[in-house]
Amino acid sequence: MHIPDGILPAQVCAAGYAITGVATWYSLRQINRRPDPAAEVPKASLLTAAFFVASSIYIPVPPASVHLILNGLLGVVLGYFAFPAILIGLFFQALVIGHGGLTTLGVNATMMGIPALLAYHIFQSRDVVGKVLPEPTRTGVFAFLGGALGLGIAALIFLALIIFNIPAELNATAEQAAVLTLSVGHIPLALVEGTFTAMLVLFLRRVKPELLEG
Amino acid sequence: MGVASANTYIHRESVIHDWSPRLKLVSLGLLMFAFATVQQLALVPWMLGLAALLYGLSQLPISFLRQRLSYPGLFILAVVVLLPLTVGDTVVAQWGWLALREEGLRATGLIVGRFLSILTLGFILLGTTPFLTLLGAMRSLGLPTLLADMTLLSYRYLFEIAAMLATMQQAMRLRGFGHSRQRWLRVNRHTMQQLAMLTGNLLIRSYEQSERVYKAMRLRGYGQSRQVAPAPAIASPLSLQNWALTGAVLVAAVGLVLAEMRLA
Repeated sequence: MHIPDGILPAQVCAAGYAITGVATWYSLRQINRRPDPAAEVPKASLLTAAFFVASSIYIPVPPASVHLILNGLLGVVLGYFAFPAILIGLFFQALVIGHGGLTTLGVNATMMGIPALLAYHIFQSRDVVGKVLPEPTRTGVFAFLGGALGLGIAALIFLALIIFNIPAELNATAEQAAVLTLSVGHIPLALVEGTFTAMLVLFLRRVKPELLEG
Repeated sequence: MGVASANTYIHRESVIHDWSPRLKLVSLGLLMFAFATVQQLALVPWMLGLAALLYGLSQLPISFLRQRLSYPGLFILAVVVLLPLTVGDTVVAQWGWLALREEGLRATGLIVGRFLSILTLGFILLGTTPFLTLLGAMRSLGLPTLLADMTLLSYRYLFEIAAMLATMQQAMRLRGFGHSRQRWLRVNRHTMQQLAMLTGNLLIRSYEQSERVYKAMRLRGYGQSRQVAPAPAIASPLSLQNWALTGAVLVAAVGLVLAEMRLA
């Protein structure tokens, strides 16, 4: 779900970089407000590398397999470090394997990173909004929402960008059909991502709860 | 995922290798954006020519580019296959219900031309500049220290964590994972649970390693002072050749944008 170079006009690429700049500035400001931000850098860095590596894990759905995006999970585990982590991960992917692109780095970071920050806030609100639910159901439900919405919103941004930037000659009916098909096609993926996130967060809650402190 | 092939710097004695990393980053970055502005098919040969010229000057082997372009992504593949068949009204050729349309072909030519040119510039940048030098150049251009530290540390441990995952996956397979039959188009809950635990274990191992790394960094003085360490000096004084190359690339970038505006 990365947008490669050459698809989007320069104005959209520049807007992506502008939004990424603001989101990075905001995330760094929130991080620097913490008591000892330097102490969290190694943790965030190694987890960034681990997420980058873990994105190569596929869920088998015979006869194919589903590749996980993990941006919602990144938000849940890394908090405000999620946006810089996604930016770095995408930078590696663009440089190393040419997946994504350097001109579209800002757009891709916005597409994946803003939903990750949203997933973080959804997960953090579990003790306020989800008070009626007992533990561990509460953690599981909010992790599911974070994971599913993280992917779902990223997919919607992706589709919106593609639809608004495809050649004008494509007729409106075909455009609407394509949007509908692709949107519906992403619902099972969002459910898989949400379920995977919930399973993983419940596992971390049992084994290493400090990883969920954001 | 190709993690093992991250070190893509290829040493050569070329003008692009000798180009100051900071100027190279800015110039090639601006040229990439100029390529992204191109909407006229007439400019595509110019754009491809410029990318090819710079690639030739860099003396990087053709196999380096071919290897990387072999992974163009499903999206570009979909563009190449679908656009000529679905976009536009002017039919160029028809086979039964399949019709090749002119507008779609033009759009495909434009998108693929931009994609190839921008990607080539990206690989010139990476192939002629070691990753750490590139990061140093970015830092000297204002990349925040925290972001630079995170990038360096992630890069440093990427390969170790990838090796760790490979070992864990091998251990799973040796214990019988993936050998059971699965029903088509069904997500096996048990399999997903096992993969979630695998990912969870990878995160926990990375987290525990990060605690040891942090202690070692603290012992070496990391985080003791809020003073920002000076950015590493970029090697090689700026010669006339550096400025000439920068000027030529910037003129080409501005020229492309102006030509695009004139032709639009």
